[in-house]
Amino acid sequence: MADSKTTSQVKEVTIWASGVIQDAEGRDTVNCIAAAASKEGKYVQAFDNYIDLPDRVNVPVRKYARISSEEIQEKYLYENEHPNMVVVVEPSLIKGFNILRGMLKGGMLVVNTGKEPEELLKFLPNKELLAAVATIDASKVAEALVDDFMDIEGAAAGVLGRGIGAALAGAVAKVSGYFGLESLKEVVQNTDAAEKGFNNVKIKIL
Amino acid sequence: MSLPNISKEKQLPEGCIVDSPTTEQDHMTTGGWRVLRSVIDYGKCTKCKTCWISCPDAAIKVDENGDVNINLKYCKGCGICASVCPVGAIARIPELDFEDVSVYRELPF
Repeated sequence: MADSKTTSQVKEVTIWASGVIQDAEGRDTVNCIAAAASKEGKYVQAFDNYIDLPDRVNVPVRKYARISSEEIQEKYLYENEHPNMVVVVEPSLIKGFNILRGMLKGGMLVVNTGKEPEELLKFLPNKELLAAVATIDASKVAEALVDDFMDIEGAAAGVLGRGIGAALAGAVAKVSGYFGLESLKEVVQNTDAAEKGFNNVKIKIL
Repeated sequence: MSLPNISKEKQLPEGCIVDSPTTEQDHMTTGGWRVLRSVIDYGKCTKCKTCWISCPDAAIKVDENGDVNINLKYCKGCGICASVCPVGAIARIPELDFEDVSVYRELPF
């Protein structure tokens, strides 16, 4: 099974966030990523994890996106078994959990923090899996604008990427190359944050 | 009236007041949720135990000297201890500033 995954065209993106507080941001980020890739004609999925529910304040929650140039024909699991890219919205989670769980060698990591990428490596016992680690201070580049609890049950059409989700998706676009900045700017509301996220991300190639 | 013959271990203590349980379950560790770590300044601490009685997770223990200690395996970093401390002896410092890792789990729950 694992071998068929490695040859698959499907790129899996896993988001880690703090429950309730960053739930909307995490969902917004996967929706931005999926919508931007969809604009380029890719096949996409974006969904939450049932295992992490019920959502409680600060409990780690995971959101998933899948991008593929072919139709996604995999067994539908509510989890990305082998993420190609991991995005961490709350940086403290990298100390407490194996955020790279299931990643095959050559993955990528984006962390929402003002620190340098090198500073985070000491907290990753399995850092040999990574090909690149990147940091972006998404709260700062989105000018501290965060989504409120009004959208907690899901993003309505047309209000994607108002806050840090746009900046994180911009950073994902730069690091992964799964979709372009132009298609991201077409789908997000805060295009300025998406552009700053794309331009200000600090990347360390390992 | 004679008391029934019950072994010493099965008898309840006076007033039925039992010690709080001290068992820790490794599959219920919540220290990985923490964003800000509470750090006690023992120079300022007056051993009033307000933090000990306020901690909703019972993650604060009092040792034999009367000092309070935070069990970082279970502390979620809610910050109630820092809010209730009458002398401001508890500081909250970002978790990533510390080198040590208190909990490392494969999965959330």
